[in-house]
Parts: sequence; structure tokens; C-alpha cells
Amino acid sequence: MFWRILKKDLKRKKTMNIILLLFVIICSMFASASVNNIMAVTGGIDHYFDIAEVPDVTVSMSEDCEADKAISELPSVKSVKTEHYLTVMSSKHFTHNGKKLDNFINPANFLSADEMGMKYFDMDNKVISSVDKGDFYCTSPFVQKMDISEGDEVVLEIGDTTMPLTYKGCFKGALFSNDEMSSPYIIINNEDYRTLAKDKYFNAGSLSTKRLYVRTDDVGAVRDAVKGDDNVYLSTRDEEKGEYLYDMLTAYIMLVISIVLMLTAFVVLRFTIGFTLSEEFREIGVMKAVGIDNGSIRRLYIVKYLAISVAGAVIGYICSLPLSSAMMKTVSEHMVLEAEKQGMLGVISSSAVVVIIMLFCYGCTRKVKKLSPIDAVRSGQSGERARKKNFMHLGSSKLPTTGFLSCNDVMSAPKRFGIITAVFTLCMLLMTLMSNFAVTLKSENMLKFFGVPTCEAHIGDMEYMQDIFTDGTAYQEIIDKTEKMLAENDMPGSCTMSFGANYETFCKDKSAKLTYTVTKGKTDDEIKCDKGRAPENGDEIALTGYAMKELDADIGDKIKTVIDGEEREFTVTGKFSSFQGGGYAASLCRDFDFGNDKITTTMGVQIHFDGDPDKKTIDDNVSKISRIIESDKVYTTSEMIKQVTGMSDTLDTIKKMMMILTVIVTALIVILMERSFISKEKSEIALMKAVGMSNGNIIAQHTIRFAIVSVLACIVSTIILMPVSNLVMNWICSMIGDVSGLKCAFVPVEIFAVCPAILIGVAVIGSFLTALYMKTIKASDTASIE
Amino acid sequence: MNTVLQAKGLCKTYTVNKHKNDVLKNIDLTVYEGEMVAVMGPSGSGKSTLLYCVSGMDKVTAGEITFGGKDTSKLGDKELARLRLNEMGFIFQRMYMMKNLTVLDNIILPAVRSKKNHESRRKTEERGKALMKRLGIDDVCENDINEVSGGQLQRACICRSMINSPKMIFADEPTGALNGSSSDEVMDELLSLNRDGTTLMCVTHDPKVAAKCSRVLYLVDGGVVGEKKMGHFDPNEMSIRDREKELNSWLMERGW
Repeated sequence: MFWRILKKDLKRKKTMNIILLLFVIICSMFASASVNNIMAVTGGIDHYFDIAEVPDVTVSMSEDCEADKAISELPSVKSVKTEHYLTVMSSKHFTHNGKKLDNFINPANFLSADEMGMKYFDMDNKVISSVDKGDFYCTSPFVQKMDISEGDEVVLEIGDTTMPLTYKGCFKGALFSNDEMSSPYIIINNEDYRTLAKDKYFNAGSLSTKRLYVRTDDVGAVRDAVKGDDNVYLSTRDEEKGEYLYDMLTAYIMLVISIVLMLTAFVVLRFTIGFTLSEEFREIGVMKAVGIDNGSIRRLYIVKYLAISVAGAVIGYICSLPLSSAMMKTVSEHMVLEAEKQGMLGVISSSAVVVIIMLFCYGCTRKVKKLSPIDAVRSGQSGERARKKNFMHLGSSKLPTTGFLSCNDVMSAPKRFGIITAVFTLCMLLMTLMSNFAVTLKSENMLKFFGVPTCEAHIGDMEYMQDIFTDGTAYQEIIDKTEKMLAENDMPGSCTMSFGANYETFCKDKSAKLTYTVTKGKTDDEIKCDKGRAPENGDEIALTGYAMKELDADIGDKIKTVIDGEEREFTVTGKFSSFQGGGYAASLCRDFDFGNDKITTTMGVQIHFDGDPDKKTIDDNVSKISRIIESDKVYTTSEMIKQVTGMSDTLDTIKKMMMILTVIVTALIVILMERSFISKEKSEIALMKAVGMSNGNIIAQHTIRFAIVSVLACIVSTIILMPVSNLVMNWICSMIGDVSGLKCAFVPVEIFAVCPAILIGVAVIGSFLTALYMKTIKASDTASIE
Repeated sequence: MNTVLQAKGLCKTYTVNKHKNDVLKNIDLTVYEGEMVAVMGPSGSGKSTLLYCVSGMDKVTAGEITFGGKDTSKLGDKELARLRLNEMGFIFQRMYMMKNLTVLDNIILPAVRSKKNHESRRKTEERGKALMKRLGIDDVCENDINEVSGGQLQRACICRSMINSPKMIFADEPTGALNGSSSDEVMDELLSLNRDGTTLMCVTHDPKVAAKCSRVLYLVDGGVVGEKKMGHFDPNEMSIRDREKELNSWLMERGW
């Protein structure tokens, strides 16, 4: 009997059931794909680190540093493996197909295959045990945006050495970052490495570094052994997991989007299940009257929704597999993942969707128990009446009849239309939040968090300014030569240079390694402090919030460090936001000098052209500078920001995807809701036709309802957009550095015109096309409706 | 007498799962101005179908219908809707009203939509209230439709049907869902309208209702098998019982 009733019901309400099914598929698909993604990334990191034999502690230092001896002698240290690197400062030393590379900004590091301190994997997840002479493997930043295939030749020209190398493919290194901004690593044969190491280029300065992989039970002892040595960087296995922040960030963004879409789908499902059940109260009443028990009646409807949700979950799971692969694509290029778990997680997620829907259904059918047969026959009305207040009156309203009826309908069913408004608001927020994030990450505001003053152009070529890494006073020479070059080439302007070094810092009984930064050169920009003021004297300093917390310092406190061999004391004058040093940063006044200390970080040279040139002039100047210094790493401000943040392209893609998703979800919601409304209001539609309203009037009334609701959603989302954007953006930035008080940028046309037009357009068109169905309802149907 | 409604050779066939069902077979019908015509017959005889066909609420399969001099079979949906709005009134058995509007707003909705009377909404509202007062329901103007009794609601439907001063009112079992006293009240109102000159066509099962009408049509299996002229009913001058008796025996002769 159930099967017969189910078949008839599914046939009778085909459209509604299909749309319900679609929403279950969406829920299930996103649930499976997102959970899969998150679990694979977070759980996968541990697995990857195990198979890659990531050590307990990693210590990086310059080649001439002797801290490795102290570490090796520690009794708690079980083993130490050392990798030595040769650093090539600029990509222009590499040529592919006759063209110099310009696809990475940071120095590239060569590693000998004989010295691999951990396991490195090729793209087939096989361990690389050796590299033939003349071949090379590299991390993905080296070949990003390149059209390169296995077997292609890349020529290295450096110093007196010209070395052609054959590309064998990318490799995955657990401790080598794969994001666009990170330094590429290249594994070559030991003979090739020795040849390179002999070149004068690598002997000129500290262009050689080494890394120790230490296995120990006592991380603290290793930390103490290198304490006080400012140019030694130690990170534990857990801290290294932060390299996968980008992958996790993307995975979490996808999860947030999936949760919002799932919530939307669940809200719609909840509404629809409750609504369609209320339509069937008459049938339920008849069943009760003839003596069928409550449990059997509930079972009937639960079976129907179980059938739909199981079918939807299965289809959703199948659809989630390509979606999951697409979402995992970049992650699986960076890590070695366990394949077996992926399928199981998806099944569990899809099953969870079914369970939640069944809980909804069970909850909605609870009313069946409470109603008597007569109440049910009366379509759920128990005979008690509640006074409803009408806010609008036709006689006193200035609105045209159709508009009045639409507004009146919306105000008479605030819960129903409130839910639709909330769902549309969520859809709108999805679009506009992504738009804001993408714009913010491209805006000039972001540069200040990297300690870069306002300017029109940037030189980001590390080789152009490599002297700064060996001589902390070399900045003046670099600034002077740049300003001279500008003046001689009809581009007068002033230059600044932002750079920094790491120092162990002490306050009271606390200590922390901070990145100290300073900006030299002519600029009116001061660092903007969130609290207090910028340092004005050589003995003043501003700290980030993280730094203050780590040192338990506040404005007015004194901190100490050793700079250029001398103990220095600074008074904390302010708190500022920064991405530098992972948020553990300090900013000094412009007069401060690091002396002979090694500079470890620089944001390059900033150029501020005289006379406030227009965009075209700036672009021309950037091209000219690029030709003069023979480097492609000369950028306008917007290009520099893209280079530095690296995420804006990803967010642009996500933004476009969100717009498409919003259109689809909005259209589905509108079709489902409108179809439901037509079904519920069939008698009223027939009545309106009977008293002389045309099809056009009634269709317009239904369409205007959705127009009202979508306009309301646009207004509400616009009001809450900026606070929500700022909140979420600050949260995202807090994972990369210590940033607070960031104000999101936005494009007014997109926020106030494009996105609302998309939402309202889809809602109006969708409701209009669906409302055409009411042409099938005849005026005479008033007689046949019960 | 002027003809308000005329139907010639009226046929209506429904097709369900390839089976044809001739609900109305070749009906000829004329309703004159000022008449109150009752349509009676057993269940399934096609009474309501006849009503909806002649009022343009349903399309006919064959035949010609003229209303107010216009051939309605040639009119499109929009023109038919306008005709129903401006020239016809409807009273249904189940007192259908718009649940989001007050009783008064339900009544004046056709007038606001119509603009037939070229008046302000305030004026329309006043007319609506006057109609409600005439039918004794002026105390429920601002009430929600769930807050009034069945009888009051049906009288509100009568007000709605009259608001645009229609040429003819069609009533489908207007007392079918009401108790005895409410039925009498509603019928008295309809009679009063008829006395004032409104033409009515009323489908009913109830001989008591039919006995108050000026003419009775008897339908069986989609065809008119009998027509009885009863003459105008004046409750002050005649006994309803005599009319009922006369009608009953006429109906029984035709298989009632």
C-alpha cells in the first residue's frame, strides 16, 4: 500500500518533489565535498608529515653560522640531518625557451639530491631517491604560470656558470611552501650542485644557507641552544603545519560557503516539508477518521521523504566526487594524501544529510498526533480563532490594486516571507562578501600591513637590492642610485626602502623573537597605530598586539634587545597591525639604523613620483624602469599587492563561482516557493479570476511579492555587509598576521547595483516564469477546490 | 423584456483519461432582465457547469452565449475577465474570500480594480459600507474573515457581487453551507436585490429556495427537461407554502 501511495504522490506533485530532490542533492553534495576536503587537509597533514619523515625541529641558518655544532652536541638530540642550499636571488638567471623567467619574486634555492634530509615525492607520490646529472625537480612556485613540460630545458646562467637542466617534474616537500609568494626549491644532482657551489656568485656573500632536521625529545633544549642567535630560525613540527595555512584557508572558505548553502537548503526544505504536510491535513483527517493510527500515518509521510532524501543523498554523493576532486586538486598537488578515507567521509556526510531531513520530517509530522480527525479535516484549524491585525486597508491605500495585494500578502505572512528574505539575504551576502574580500586584498590599504608607505611603483627584484642583506647600511646607496636613475630618465621622484631584521626581545621575564622593521627615505607616511602613537625617536618602538601579548608589554613599558652588538632599550609607544613576522613585529622610527646587522626581510624599493602623475604615466614609468634595470620585477602598486597577498586571484575565482551559485540557488528557491504558493492559494487564485482579475494581474501580484522580498533582502544585506565583511576579513587576516581594525574596501557599483540586480532579476524572472503556471487554474475551479 | 443572457446549443464535454463525458448537451437558455432563475436537478446533472459556462468562467465545447448583447464565445480571457468584473457578480457556496483582506476590503476589491464608477477609493469604501449596512453586516467592516459567521460571510459575498452594479448575479448554491436561519436571511437578501431589479441565476438543490424564484429550470443528464414559470414572489402577498407545494409536485413529475 505504501508503495502505491508513494508512487501516486510522487506523480501528482512532480514539480515540488523534483525541486525538493534538487535541494537534497545540493545539501548532500556540499556536505560530502566540504567535510571530505577539511578532513583530508587537516588529517592529511599529519599523515604527510609522517611519511615525509618531518623532524621534530627544523633549524635554518646561514652557511657560516656555527649553531649546528651546539645542537649536535645536545644529549637529547637523537639525529641531525643537514641540507645546504645555494640561493639564486632573481628569476632572471633562468631561461626557458629563450625567455628569462619572471614568474617568481623570491630567491630560488638549490639542493643536492645526495643531501635530502627528508623524503620528497614526485607528482605520482613516489619518493625521489636520486636525480640524474643535468636533471632537476622543483617545487611548484618555480614553474607557476609557465608553459613547461617534462623534458623541457631550463638554462641557469649565473656568475661564470651556464648550466642547462632538464625539467623532470615538480616535487612535494612537506616543509617547502607551494604558495605563489614562496621561494622555489630545486633538487639537482650532487655533481651539478658542486659545480654551482664553486661559482664566485655563491661565494660573494651569504647566499648560502643550511637547514638542520633535528630529531629530539626535548625541543626546549634545542631552543635554548640557539637562543640569542638572531639569525637562526627554529620551528617545530606543529609550527610547520602553518605552511598549509593557505590550503586550509581555502578549504575553510569552501566549508563556510558550503555551510551557508546547506543552511539555505535546509531552511527551504524545512519550510517545504511543513508546508506540504499542512496541505495534506485533509487526507490525514480522513485516515484518522477511518481508524488508521498516528504512527502509520506518520510513517507514510516519513517514507515519502525518506525516499526523496535517500535518492537525493545518493545523487548528491556521486556529484560530490568530481566537486571534491576539484576542491582537492590544489591540495593534492601539495601533499601526499591517503586515498582510502575520502570515499568513506563522503558517505557519512551524505547519510548525515538524510538523517537531518528525516528529523525535520519527524518534527513536522508531530502535529498529526495532536490533531483530532475533525481538526485535520479542517486543514489543521482547531476551531479557535486568533485576531489578526491588518496593517493595510485597500480603501485608504494609494497603491495600485496589484501592488496593494502584493504588499498586503507579504505583511500578512511575516514568518513565511521573513524566511525567504533571510535566505535571499544570505545569498546576497555570499556574493557581496566575496566581492569585498577580493577588492580588499587588491586595495592599497593592504600594503601598510607589510610596512610599505604610500607610493606609485615598487622594485621587487631581490638582486637589485641584494647588498642590503649583507650590509644593513646599504639602503642609502640603493635609494640614492634609484633616485638618480629616476632623475636621469625624466621620472623625478623620491624613494623609500622598507626592510627588517629579527631579534630576540626581552621584557620583564618574557622573551620573543620579533621582526623589527624600519622605512628609510623621504615619505610623509607614518605607521598608523591602533593605539598610542608611532615611534618618533631612536629609543621608541611600536609593537603588534601579538608581540605585546608574548612579551606581556603595554604602552609605556620598556623592552630590550641587542642590535649591532649593543644592548638597546626601547619604550613602547604604540600598538600597530602587521603581517610581518607572522604578526610578531616591531616598528622603529625612521632615524633608526641596524648598523652592521644582517637584514633578513625587505619589501623592496618604493617609488613616489613627483607631480602626482596619472595612471598612464605611472604605467609608462614602470615599463621604463623595468627596461633600465633589466628586471621584470617592477610593479605598480596594484600589481605589487597582487604579488604580496597572492590570494586575490583565488578570491576572484571564488567570487565568480559564488555569483553563479547564488543565481542557481535563488532560482531554485523562487521556483519551489512560488510553486508551493500557487498550490496553497489555488482557491484564492480561482476566486480572483472569478471576480474579474486577469491572469496578468494575478501573475504580477505573485511576482511583485518576490520583488518586494528580494529588495528587502538587498537592503538588509547592505546594512550588515560592512560590519560582517570587516569582522570576517579581520578574522582571516589574524590567521596570517596581527591585523585588527582593517576596513574592507568595496566597489560601490558591484555592491549597490550589480549584485542587487542579479538577486532581484533572478527572483523576479524566476517567480514570473513559475507564476505562469497559474494560467492552468480556471475561475470555475472555485467549485472543485475543497 | 430585455434579454440579459442567451445560450444556444450549449455543449460542454470533459475528457478524462481519453473518456469523454458530455456534461451539457445542447442547452438553449434565455434569461430576461429582472428575472430570478433557479437551476435545479439531481447531483451530476450539470447545474454548476451550466452556471460557469454561461458566466464565462469555463470554456464551452460548442454553442453560442450572448451576455448583454456580446458574444462571449468570441472573447479572450482578458475580455471575459473584464466582463465578469464589470457586468457580473458571483456568489459561491463556500463563501470564498481573500484571507489576507478584511471583510470590507474583500467587498470593495472588484470596484477598486474596475474603475467602472470613476470614483475615489474613499467613495468606493463608503459605498461598500452602505451595502454592508443594507445587508445588516456593517459592524464587521474591519473584521478578519475568520471572525465572522457563515451567514455574515455569505452576505459579505452578496455585497461583493453587487459592488459594481452588475447586470446579472450568478449564485452557486448560495445557502448550501448555511444553517436554516442564515439560509432564510440570505435568500431574503437575494429576493430584495431581485425586487430592486437585479437579474439572478441561482443553482440550488433546495425547493424552498427555488420556490422563491420567478422561473425554475430542471436539468437531468446535461439537458433541460423542464421549465416552470413561477412568477415573481412577493412575501407580503403570497404564501411560500403554496409555491413550494406547486413546485414540489412539478418536480416529482419530472423524477425529483
